[in-house]
Formats: sequence, C-alpha cells, structure tokens
Amino acid sequence: MQLAASQIPASAVPASTDLVEWYYEKGFSDGLPVVPPTPEKVAAMLAALGGEPEKVEARVPPRWGALTREVLAVNMVMAGCKPEYAPVVRAAMLALCETAFNLNGVQATTHMASPLLVVNGPIAKKIGMNAGCNAFGPGNRANATIGRAIRLVLLNVGGGWPGELDKSTLGHPGKYTYAVAENEELGLLAPYHVEKGFKAEDSTVFVMAAEPPHSVTNHVANDPQGILDSICSAMSTFAHNNAVSSGHCAVVLGPEHATTISKAGWKRHDVKQYLWTNASNTFGQVAFNHRYGKVYNRSLPVWYGRELDSRIPVVPSAENIHLFVIGGEAGRFSAFIPGWGHMSSPVLREIEGNADPAQGGPRCVDGTCYL
Amino acid sequence: MIQVYDPRGVVGAEKKATAARIQALKGLRLGILDNTKWNANKLLRELRDQIKAAHPLADIHYYRKESFSKFAAPELIEEIRRDNDIVVTAIGD
Repeated sequence: MQLAASQIPASAVPASTDLVEWYYEKGFSDGLPVVPPTPEKVAAMLAALGGEPEKVEARVPPRWGALTREVLAVNMVMAGCKPEYAPVVRAAMLALCETAFNLNGVQATTHMASPLLVVNGPIAKKIGMNAGCNAFGPGNRANATIGRAIRLVLLNVGGGWPGELDKSTLGHPGKYTYAVAENEELGLLAPYHVEKGFKAEDSTVFVMAAEPPHSVTNHVANDPQGILDSICSAMSTFAHNNAVSSGHCAVVLGPEHATTISKAGWKRHDVKQYLWTNASNTFGQVAFNHRYGKVYNRSLPVWYGRELDSRIPVVPSAENIHLFVIGGEAGRFSAFIPGWGHMSSPVLREIEGNADPAQGGPRCVDGTCYL
Repeated sequence: MIQVYDPRGVVGAEKKATAARIQALKGLRLGILDNTKWNANKLLRELRDQIKAAHPLADIHYYRKESFSKFAAPELIEEIRRDNDIVVTAIGD
C-alpha cells in the first residue's frame, strides 16, 4: 500500500497566519474564501456525522481520495455548512459515489456537467433550504453551502481540479454550488420522491449530472398543452447533450405554470408523457444530415430509427424526465435542465430514514434508487 | 500555533510494474478494445487492417466496452487477458 497524499490530516501554523490566505496558497479552495476549520467547528460537524473520524464513507473519483468522516467534516466547515446540513451532504456524497452515477466520468469529462442536487421531504424545510423565489440563485445558506461542500469534496478529495482531472471545456456556474429543494408546500403536484415510492415524510436527495437550467418563458398559455409546448421547444434542440447522447434530463415547473397544469387536472405522469411525446429532433438533425460522413450514433438506443426523418426523442422514455416544482409564486417561468447523457444514471437516495422496500416502500436497494 | 487541516483525504494505491515490452509481433494474439466513442471504431478498424497486412499475427480479437465513459466490465477484462498477448485501445473522439 502506497500513500500518495499526506497522511497527516492536521498540522499547525504560527498564530499570526492569515488562514484564509493559507488555504488559498495550499490550493484547497474553489476560488472563494473558505471558512477556516477550527478544531471546535470540525468536532461539531463530526459529531453531526456520527463521530468515528476515521470511518471511510466513500472513495471519491477520479483521484479516489478516502472521504473519511473527518475529511467530510473539514470540507463542510470550509464551505460554511451548519452541522444540521450533515445528513444531506453525506447522503448526496453517497449517491454521487454509487457506481451507476459514474462520478469518475462526470468529474473528468470535457462536457460542462455538474452534479445537481434536489432535496425532498421534511428535512429541506427543517434546515431552511430555499425551494421558492430564486431557488437556483444566491441568498440562502443551506442551498449555497450544501452545494459548495459537495464541490469542495469533488475538488479536494476527488481531485477534480480544472485542467488536471477535470477536463471540462467550459464548466458552468453550478460547479460552485447546485443544490435546491422541491417546492412541496404549494401542493401542486405530488412530490418527486413520492412518485418514486417514498413516503411524503421521508427525506431524499436526487443527484443528476446536469447542464445549467435553460429558462422557459410562457406568459400566454392558460392550459397545460401551451405551457408544455414551450418546454418542448426548449428540449427540442440538437445542441444539448441529451440530443446526441440520450440519458436523463430534468424539467422544473415554476409554481405559476404548475398551478395552471394542476388546475387542469394533469398529474405528474401526464406532464412527463406529454413532454416525451412532443419533444424530439429528427435523426437528420442529430446526424447533421450526414454532411460530415455517414452517422449511426452509437450513443442513441438501438431501437431508434436511423432514417433522416426518424423521430429522435430527447430521452428514451418519459421516466427519464425528472420533474420538479421549484420556484417563487410569481412569474410564468419554468426550466429545462439537460443531463450529461447515457454515461451517468441519476441516483435518488434516502436521507437517514427507514424506508423499507419490503413494506411497499421505494423501488430501491439500501436506500438508493438507480433511476 | 494554530491547527490547520488537509481536506484532501488519503489515496491508497498499489504499485504495479508495467508489462515487458513486446519485441516482435509474429505469432501473437492481438486484442483491440473499442471504447465505443464516436470515432473509435473507424480509427481502430483501420489500425487493425494495417497491422494485419504488415504482421503475421496468430489471431485478432475485437472487443467493445459497454460505455466509453465507464470501466470495462471485469468479465471483459478477464476475457481480453485470457485470449490475447497484446492489446490496443483508443478513444477516437
């Protein structure tokens, strides 16, 4: 066994040291100042994670650093997390390190994908996550620092440093933080985790390798079809990764749009089925009409037609569209969030609960759903 | 003095030696692993044909990974190891 990194998790520096600058100089920051971890703050975070500082929760690719509870606690403190965020951050890291998610590929790819986290269930409100106005934007500590803690772990433990093990051509702003909660309070559609078999009182975290949200504006339609046609328009381009690499995507309904859809009696499966049925490209579009040579595209399912006018769905089934209601009460906006492609499966993981598949619970193993 | 922390976590790695260099291709079994990226098959088929024309190999086997972004399945790696003396792979983006 050869140890390639320091085995000494802690050392000491003179009391006059500017710690913010020290962590910058060591290369342990995401570019923003970190909260210098003190023994007291690390101990409090560690206690929230269940103690046992040496316990390895996961190995984080592509560097495959050991994410011990102490290392996780240190990164969470650096990100600015409160100890009560610990169950969410841990569940998210475990979800990201599931084989099906392929974090190794997500971290290393030239594509801009970043893990998107969506939290469901009572814990979101308990820790004060923002599922409302400006949910994807700044201003909420839980959203900001949970996502940032994930990124610091992906950088520090996973080694996903730009240009080194993260080869992303462009990156995207969600690589700083990309964590939200579903707006369940409005009660417009069933919560996402309930659709997947969890109880409303369970808490879960959904992770998906995702492009940034693409805004969908529709201030005109007063029926589901009109609103969803605008979302279909955003989905039906051949520029995003789903178009040429299949996989999964997410659709976020803003509350005004969701209200119109809900009042018309449409349920989650109606929305997903409508989007899947009406959002598409032609094979000619995704094959560039063979202008640059004959294209088959092995990243698309074998059952898709390969004639120029063959319909190419954005994702292979309605179940590959992950639907959420998120946002503030005012404004007729929704969003389409493309995924990375078939190379990564989203994962839904329970946050420290007791959901039991044998009792008619979620379609999962060990608290984890491969979606 | 004040305490500071290394947030990186330890990497445990096993040291392995690289295989001895092949001196001649004659009579060897060649495995080709296509990672299924866009142009990998075009590149590797051309390479296969050129090697075949230039060298008297005993056999050539062509394999495909399930996904270009994921590790090859352990069974596939074992099959490649069992049935070949040398292996070529490439991504062909």
